[in-house]
Amino acid sequence: MEDNSTSRRKFLSAGLMATVATVAAGCSDKKNPFDKYAGDDVKASGETVKLLSVDGQIIEMDKAFLKPVPDLPHLSNSEERKGIEGKKFVMVIDLARCKNVGACKTSCNHAHQLNPGQNWIKVLEMQDADLTAPYWQPTTCMHCDEPPCVKVCPVDATFKRQDGIVLIDSDRCIGCRFCMAACPYSTRVFNWQEPVLTEEVALMDYSCETSMPQKLGTVSKCDFCPDMARKGELPHCVSACPNGVFFFGDQNEDSVTNGAETFRFSDLIKDKAGYRLMEDLGTKPRVYYLPPVNRNFPFESGLENENADDRMQHSK
Amino acid sequence: MNQLHKIAIGIIWLFCYLPTISVTAQDSVKQAPSVALRYFVHNNNIQYLLIQSRVKVGKKFQAVPGYPVQLYLDSNIAENLVAKSITNINGDAKVVIPAVLKDKWNASPRHTFIALSGAEEDLTSIEITKAKILLDTTTIDSIRTLNVKVMFLQNNDWIPAADVEMKVGVARAGGILPAGEEATYTTDSTGTVTVDFKRDNLPGDVKGNFVLVAKVEDNDLYGNLLIEKTVPWGIAVKPDLHFFDQRTLWSTRFKTPVWLLFMAYSIVMIVWGVIIYLVFLLIKIKKAGNEKAAPLKIVPGKVAVSD
Amino acid sequence: MKNTTTLTSQQITLDLLPQKFGRRGIIWTAALLLIAMVGAFAYYRQVRYGLVVTHMRDYVSWGIYISNFVFFVAISLVGSLITAILRLANVHWATPLTRIAEIIAVSAIVFASIIIVVDMGRPERFLNLMIHGRLQSPIMWDVIVIGTYFFISLLLLYFPLLPDLKILIGLKEKPGKWLNKLYRFQGSFWKGTADQFRLSDKAINILCIIIIPVAFCIHTVTSWLFATTYRPGWDSTNFGAYFISGAFLVGAGAVVVAMYIFRKAYKLEKYIYEKHFEKMGRVVVLLALLYLYFNINEYLVPAFKMKKPEEAHLTQLFAGEYAPLFWFAIMIGMIIPICILVFKKGRKPLPVFIAGIMVVIGAWFKRYLIVTPTLLHPFLPMNDVPESYHHYFPSWEEWAIAMGSLAGALLIITFFARIYPIIPIHETISENESTA
Repeated sequence: MEDNSTSRRKFLSAGLMATVATVAAGCSDKKNPFDKYAGDDVKASGETVKLLSVDGQIIEMDKAFLKPVPDLPHLSNSEERKGIEGKKFVMVIDLARCKNVGACKTSCNHAHQLNPGQNWIKVLEMQDADLTAPYWQPTTCMHCDEPPCVKVCPVDATFKRQDGIVLIDSDRCIGCRFCMAACPYSTRVFNWQEPVLTEEVALMDYSCETSMPQKLGTVSKCDFCPDMARKGELPHCVSACPNGVFFFGDQNEDSVTNGAETFRFSDLIKDKAGYRLMEDLGTKPRVYYLPPVNRNFPFESGLENENADDRMQHSK
Repeated sequence: MNQLHKIAIGIIWLFCYLPTISVTAQDSVKQAPSVALRYFVHNNNIQYLLIQSRVKVGKKFQAVPGYPVQLYLDSNIAENLVAKSITNINGDAKVVIPAVLKDKWNASPRHTFIALSGAEEDLTSIEITKAKILLDTTTIDSIRTLNVKVMFLQNNDWIPAADVEMKVGVARAGGILPAGEEATYTTDSTGTVTVDFKRDNLPGDVKGNFVLVAKVEDNDLYGNLLIEKTVPWGIAVKPDLHFFDQRTLWSTRFKTPVWLLFMAYSIVMIVWGVIIYLVFLLIKIKKAGNEKAAPLKIVPGKVAVSD
Repeated sequence: MKNTTTLTSQQITLDLLPQKFGRRGIIWTAALLLIAMVGAFAYYRQVRYGLVVTHMRDYVSWGIYISNFVFFVAISLVGSLITAILRLANVHWATPLTRIAEIIAVSAIVFASIIIVVDMGRPERFLNLMIHGRLQSPIMWDVIVIGTYFFISLLLLYFPLLPDLKILIGLKEKPGKWLNKLYRFQGSFWKGTADQFRLSDKAINILCIIIIPVAFCIHTVTSWLFATTYRPGWDSTNFGAYFISGAFLVGAGAVVVAMYIFRKAYKLEKYIYEKHFEKMGRVVVLLALLYLYFNINEYLVPAFKMKKPEEAHLTQLFAGEYAPLFWFAIMIGMIIPICILVFKKGRKPLPVFIAGIMVVIGAWFKRYLIVTPTLLHPFLPMNDVPESYHHYFPSWEEWAIAMGSLAGALLIITFFARIYPIIPIHETISENESTA
């Protein structure tokens, strides 16, 4: 028995060392071992903690990874202007599923602390022709590949990144609003007055990727939530929609997901005849729409959530 | 009469007071957050629990940040404390099992996690059976197949786990792209799932690799299980190194198109060249004025009027 | 009608000297100062509370500040028209008008720059245009051209002023200690030698030649602020020529108004006589007809097609909410002045003055009609925005600032006329002697 126990102990300790060694070696890179596809490298704190694996082994891991959402290293302005390497974000919006619930607007406005009256996502009542059916169309920024807004900005305050996202640097914007005039999708909003922020947000360091805190006299718009992408999460609108209307993904990986379902992007566009808004203007938007065929909800079911001001426009 | 009056008023007061009591009681009931416990195992190795605290406000569930939760293993005693945590701004906390509980953990294949928050009553608890998930791939006649097997621990044996629903596919940003036709697959009596890999010409990383994933989500017995395997079945995607080199109208100021640079600079140089020449002429006029002057003239240039 | 009595150079000098403000002058200046100060207070409010004090919102994101800017840039082209083109064409009757035209141009350009900074959401970041400026942006082109045009106009004001400065310095009755110091500082080196005249004439000639393409550039680039966007009403290839012809028209109208007022206020009937009004009347008619031609092109051609995004916009202009303003601007700005000025009787000073005022007012409203109605017809429906976003009427702060900028421009002209002779003394004397 003693021999057995010592040999077992030796084996276990050898196995333990091996496990610790391999896991430690695995942990030496800054990828989050809990979620390897999170995106960016996590800011390691240097402190380690010992935890148990499923089969009772002891693993040592940096404490930074234990946060539910690990802290990412602070990005410089030039890194924010470059974007996430290797990604080409794209969004697909399924108009057949939209019921004008408005959860996308609420979550986006809340997450970015927008002022009342500011909506980065506008759910529009569209009707292509007099005899065609009306439908609800959530409209975000298109993050065009040939963005007219970027072309006209005099100070490089709005810029196109390699991951496809068009961002705004509110520290540089001079508030000339030429980009707002140039955007054919009317997606940009302006901070006409001092933004109302919580104390926490007001004290934050400004980051182009979170677009917070918003600044008086500057332009803002949907930013495809690059801060969420770096953490491996989906943009707020995508997660919030109860009907799975928004699909977000990486064109380089050829896949888009709404959180619950994941599709191959090229198949989705092809099978469901995806299109882009105002294609003939040549802006090359990165948001595709799936036409409202075989709709989940009739158009009228969305009228109950209609903005009071829009309802007034109807009655005129 | 006086007495009756007093009683009547007393009753009326009670009537007014009771509803307010019930309303405040409602409020206090509403305020107690509910806590969800979820157990995760990655690659049969790393395990952790996610504590999510939410409170119902109106129709929606809102996160409760800063909520202290204590987690215990099997029983609510100090020695079995797994962790003391405080939920973050999203109402979540991530907890690992500390090394000190190693012997208690290895003692049994089934464990219960108990969460409570300072109060006497347990908030919630989940029971977990240790399980492992294996992912294997085979290629026959250029048809690729994924074989996933789920087994749970009973005494010291691994028993195949039947009727376990899972997602099988390729790990993509934000989700799992199903490998075959179905969104989810369920293990049969032998605890296996076999999926034909139908995604041809799928882009991979720079080297053409991508990661296959089998994921069991929120199973009642086993929690969340995840297994990953890197395979070289993808198309290599070359990184776009030249994005910032292109000179276009929507590039930064450092990459102005050459034709625009040429036009703008030549026009500006010509016009400002002329302006500088004019300033030079002005200086010349100044100098001409400082010389001992020739007689004054009134008529411009051509006719010389002698004094 | 030629001036029959020969004037001596002393007479001319005396008549054309800058005069002190009479009672009317003081009331005029005080009124302008008041308007300008109200405008300044309104701007203080805007800086303190943000652009929310205006009624511009996310859809109508450009309002009367921008239309005022276009108006100022348009007027500033008068310098190239009257001073440069007519001078190069050896049109001698225009000589008395050159300085009026030039000071209108300079003050208009100054206030164009000021009103643009007023419109910025972050005026303190103005230097970003220099440090981080992008050459691909039409705004950068506008900044460059406006700056260039300002310097050229300033030089074109300065060179012909030199001989007059000498006259002012050499006066027996000194106009005032500070004024005299100013004149000496600016022109004491001018002795009137043949050499100096030769150099000065050369400089003025070069300026007249170079200012014409720069003037064309300035208003074409300003029109491109609109034409480089996709919006209905702005997406037009016609815009460069359309704006330039409008600019020449409003510039000529402004000169006509100014010359009438100066003639009356400073009793310059011997220098600005009926012939000038007759000739300028013809110029205005010609330019109005030209502008009308471009307007027809600009509106009739899209109306023929009635493309979907433009349909709502054009209908609103011709027969809808903006119809009264649109037809007012067309009638007052072009049609009625043409009708007045086509007839010889209509080219007397007073009718020409009235036509000039109509042209300027019509032009201001025309610029407003170019900027705002288009913004109310975006491609996508206006949903999920507050009701106020569907309309635009300027707030009192916007009116105050716009009027304040106009008052400021008039103040510059007024103070200029107080300090310098508004009609070039030396050139008038030499023209007089060459005709005698």
